[in-house]
Order: sequence, then structure tokens, then C-alpha cells
Amino acid sequence: VRLRAAALAAWLIGAAAPVLAHDVTPLPALDYEPPAPGTYTLHRIMAAPDGEVLDLDGRPQRLRTFTRERITLLGFVYTTCVDPDGCPLAYRVFDALRHAVGDRPGLRDKVRLVTLSFDPERDTPAAMRAYAGTRTTERGLGVPWHFLTTRSSRALAPLLEGFGQDVRSPRGLSNARSRSELSHVLKVFLIDRDGFVREVYSSTFLHPRTVLNDIETLVMNP
Amino acid sequence: VQRSIAVAACLLAWVLLVGTAAADETCNSPYIAKLIKGQEDYVYVWTLGVEGVGDGSDKLVTIDVHPKSKTYGKVLGSVSVGTRGEAHHMGFTDDRRFIWAGGLAEPKIYVFDIATDPARPRLVKTIGDMADKTGYLGPHTYYALPGRMLVQALSNTRDKGGVTGMALYNSKGEFIAAYPMPTEGGGDGYGYDLAVNPKKNILLTSSFTGYTNYMRPLGELVKDPEAMKKFGNTMVAWDLKAMKPTKVFSVPGAPLEIRWSLNPADNWAITAAALTSKLWLVKQDQGVWQAKEVGTIGDPAKIPLPVDISITRDGKGLWVNTFMDGTTRYFDLSNPEAPRQTYEKVTGKQINMISQSWDGTRLYITSSLLANWDKGGADNEQFLRAFAWDGKELKPAFEVDFAKERLGRAHHMKLGSRALKSP
Repeated sequence: VRLRAAALAAWLIGAAAPVLAHDVTPLPALDYEPPAPGTYTLHRIMAAPDGEVLDLDGRPQRLRTFTRERITLLGFVYTTCVDPDGCPLAYRVFDALRHAVGDRPGLRDKVRLVTLSFDPERDTPAAMRAYAGTRTTERGLGVPWHFLTTRSSRALAPLLEGFGQDVRSPRGLSNARSRSELSHVLKVFLIDRDGFVREVYSSTFLHPRTVLNDIETLVMNP
Repeated sequence: VQRSIAVAACLLAWVLLVGTAAADETCNSPYIAKLIKGQEDYVYVWTLGVEGVGDGSDKLVTIDVHPKSKTYGKVLGSVSVGTRGEAHHMGFTDDRRFIWAGGLAEPKIYVFDIATDPARPRLVKTIGDMADKTGYLGPHTYYALPGRMLVQALSNTRDKGGVTGMALYNSKGEFIAAYPMPTEGGGDGYGYDLAVNPKKNILLTSSFTGYTNYMRPLGELVKDPEAMKKFGNTMVAWDLKAMKPTKVFSVPGAPLEIRWSLNPADNWAITAAALTSKLWLVKQDQGVWQAKEVGTIGDPAKIPLPVDISITRDGKGLWVNTFMDGTTRYFDLSNPEAPRQTYEKVTGKQINMISQSWDGTRLYITSSLLANWDKGGADNEQFLRAFAWDGKELKPAFEVDFAKERLGRAHHMKLGSRALKSP
């Protein structure tokens, strides 16, 4: 019984451990030629919500601090996520964009990346710091990448509601692989300098090339 | 000769005035991640109100379809919207927490919460600004995009003809933009269904007719040759990202439902043209999108009237319901360039919608087409019928008699699951 309990505890701890090193290999090329930047319109979809978040030092901040003045790419993740079409995909795309935007002098001071956890119970500021690794300190690329969490589910709820980001616990889901797995539809939000969401990407439409085109479109047509 | 002409005119009118329906578990927007791949618990039926039947209003009916449930095959409840507006289609939001539904006779969209308690949907919002914002009438297809809902309308408020467009809302129900159907470059401006292939950044639309035709009494319409000409004969390819039309295809005979193959290796879509009873394939030929006729449904001379199609999850099979002869047909799509019918069964005196479970072993069929064009007398059956499919034979599982239950005319279906409950 003790062995079983120990094994179970080890499994639970292992299952809930943050994913420290997401795959950042390049994504396959697009299977179509996207429209050129500036040739299409990105409408205002909705206003990005505001609320309290915690930075990596555990300091409370307003989310609007991270969604104004620059074009912002914001994605919700949880650090124990292993679905390749979920958070790890967002991580790969963010990492690719960090380089792509950083390579363009006209863009690098106009863009930021924000990764916000929707699992405040496990994703403490310390866990987010471990998840971020060196991404927040590699200033050479010039594109800020902020890793944020919240104090509690209560603090998180209005942000999820405001963005229209659903998330559910695995209870009752037969396909949940572990108790640390959350069910969610991957959404990444492109937010303009004034705080309006101008594009929402799901896993089937999230690609560095399309996002980069959209960022350039917002620079050309704010 | 006169009698023959009259019969032909009536049959043609039946064909032209069909308002069919679309989508089931294998036909949802690719942006809906929570597909039910096991046993569904509920079928939601968007039901047309009938004067003098129950409260006479359109309503969302919930039916228990889990075989192990004590109430299997029974109506769990219904939510009335309080008006009768030619209820027709519905669609899930991208997170599958809400169903958007509407009618062809009004510019309203009803939003039902199916997440708080999947067994008991609640009407939580009515979106009433589509006409003011766009001039469009008769919201038809509700297609989830990330954070948004793209709504294809059938008509317009100016002349209630078939020239129409698409309205884009955010998932909270706030209007974003309107996209008129093209009237140049061969476009007729008409709309019907829409479907997206995100891998190719392509949106396809099809075409039907406007309010003045689909709501007009049949007897009047067949005597109006000008009105009889006002039906869609086109499909349009759009650059999805830019939301701009890129090519208009000539597809005679009111092309209706559009289904992209769900096989990840495929990049083709299929549709059925109601007037000509033909299957059309849309695919790339040397990098250029083309539409071509690839098959025939029944005997077109008898006007079987294909009204709904449902593709299997592997893209290898297609169910086709034909209204006039009440027949459900199965086509082998192993070669989409040459669909081959392998099975047929009469499943009702009049049938319209067909939906299948993800694994294809359970099929649900409803009866109603449009309030004014359903058959009369004993042929006016109103039902949801469930069948089991073993690859060889459709076997009846249960039936809900919508007339006996005093619910109305059973139309569009969506599947539900208690596992999708969320706060």
C-alpha cells in the first residue's frame, strides 16, 4: 500500500511538474500564400480586459500595463500543458516571433509578448520564472516577453471572461490524461496599441508568418 | 401537356424553395475543438413553431439519446423563444459553450447557454441588430471562427431578394463587420452555406434564394416566371484571412451544404445542388481551385431534392437526404472524383436533416424543410428518428413524434454531452 501511495504521489508530482523546455523547432511552412501585410483589414473584435496580475517577482500589476502602447501578442497557458497543439504550440510560435520581430528594426520596439497562466494554483510566480527560463532575460533580441500569473482563480476569472477564454478542470472528462491537465481551446490574442483585440488565433491558424503579417498590418494601419 | 408542365412547375418550385440545413458532429467548424468523439448524451433540435401547437413558438428541444439513460429517446425539455420566425439553423461558438440559432423570417439571433447545464439549455441573449448593421435578413449558417461567429444570411431587408452577405460578430454577440456576397465577376450576390479550410486559407460559400421566394406561397411563386429565375447558381472562394472573394464558380442548381473532408491529407470539399440533384467537388487543380460535377443523386428527372448531406470523419463516405422521396442514401467517397451510391433506405414520408455521431454508428434524421413547404396531410410527419449504422444497414433505434409531443416541426440538430458542462 505504501509503495502504491508513494508511486501515486510521485506520479502526481511528476504529472504536475512545469514543462521547462518546450519544443522550439521551426513549424512547417504554410500551405498557402497569405495576403500581403496592409492589404486587408483587422477589425476591432473587442476591448482587451483589465485586471490584477502578478509578475515574476510576485508583484501585483495591472494587465493593461502589458496591453497598451505596444502591439501585444498574448496567450494563455499553463505550465504543465503537454498537448502539442496547445500551450507548447503557442510557445513555439512566440519563440519564433521573438526572433522574427527582433530581426526587424522597425518592429522590435513596437511589439511585446505576454504569456499569462490560467492555472494560478500551480503556476506561482516562481513556477512561471522556471517556465520562462532565460526568455525574459535575453534582452539582445529587443522584444519583451512577459510571463504573468494571477493571485487566485477569483482574480483570473474576469480576465478569462473578458477574453472569452474558457478553461475547465479535468473532472468528468474521460480523455484528460492527468489531474494536472486542463481542458481549453487554445487562443492567442493580437492586441493593438490602444488595447483592442484585432485578431484571435486558434491552433489551426496560429503560425509565425501569419502573425508577423498581422503585426505589420497593424503597424501600417493602426 | 399542360398538366405535365404544371407538375413539372410544382416539382421545380419544391426544389427551388427548399431551405435545407447543415452541420453535425462531423460537419462543425474546424475551430470547434471539443468534438464529441464518444457517446453523445443529447440531441438539441431547433424546432419551428406551429400555430395552435403548444405555445406556437420556435423552440430548442432537448432529447436524451444516451442508450443507458432511463429517459433514452425522451424529450427532456424545451426552451421557447416566444415568437415564430421560421426557425432554421444553429451553430456552436468556438468554445462550444453556446448555441446561436435563428430564423429565416426575421433578423434575430438567439443565444442559448448549453454549458451551465447541458441537459437544460437556457436562452441568455437575443441579438437583434443584424438588419440595422448590415441590411441582411434571414440568418442561416452560424460558423465559429476564433473568438467570433461568421453568420451567412439568405436575404436583405431592402427588397427581400437573394442578394445578401455575411455578418461577423464577436463571440459576445457584438457586431464587427459585414461582407457582401460578390455581384461582379460572375457572382449573383446570393448566399446559403459557408465552410472553411484553414490549412488553405479558403472560405467557400454557396447560394440559394431570398425571402420573397423562400417565404412565398408555392402557388403564387410557380405563376411568377421572373421570381422563378431568382435562385443561386454559384459558389465563391474567398481569401479567408482577407475576407475577399477570389473566384466565382458556376455551379448551376442552387448549391447548398458545403462539407470539407476531415481527412488531414485531403483538401477538397463537396456539395449537392438541389435543383439538378448533382454532387459537385471543389478542389485544387494544378494549384487553381476548381468546381466540377462528379455525381448524380437518384434520378434527377424525378426531382429527389437533396436537402442535407453529412460527411464521415475520414472523408470516405457521404450521407444524402432527399426530401421528396424520403430517402437516405450513402455514397462511397473513396474516390471523391467519382462518388458511388452503395446504399439507400426510405426513412420517412418527408425527411430533411441528417446528423451522425463522430464514429458514424449513430444517425439522426428530422423531417421539416420549411413551414410553408412541408408536405400536407398524412405525409406531414414531424419527427426525430434515430438509427444505428453497422456499415450495411440502417436500423431504427427510437423515434420522437414532434406532432404528438406538440412541439412543432423538427429541423436542425446539434449533439450535446454532459461532460461539456462548465461554469
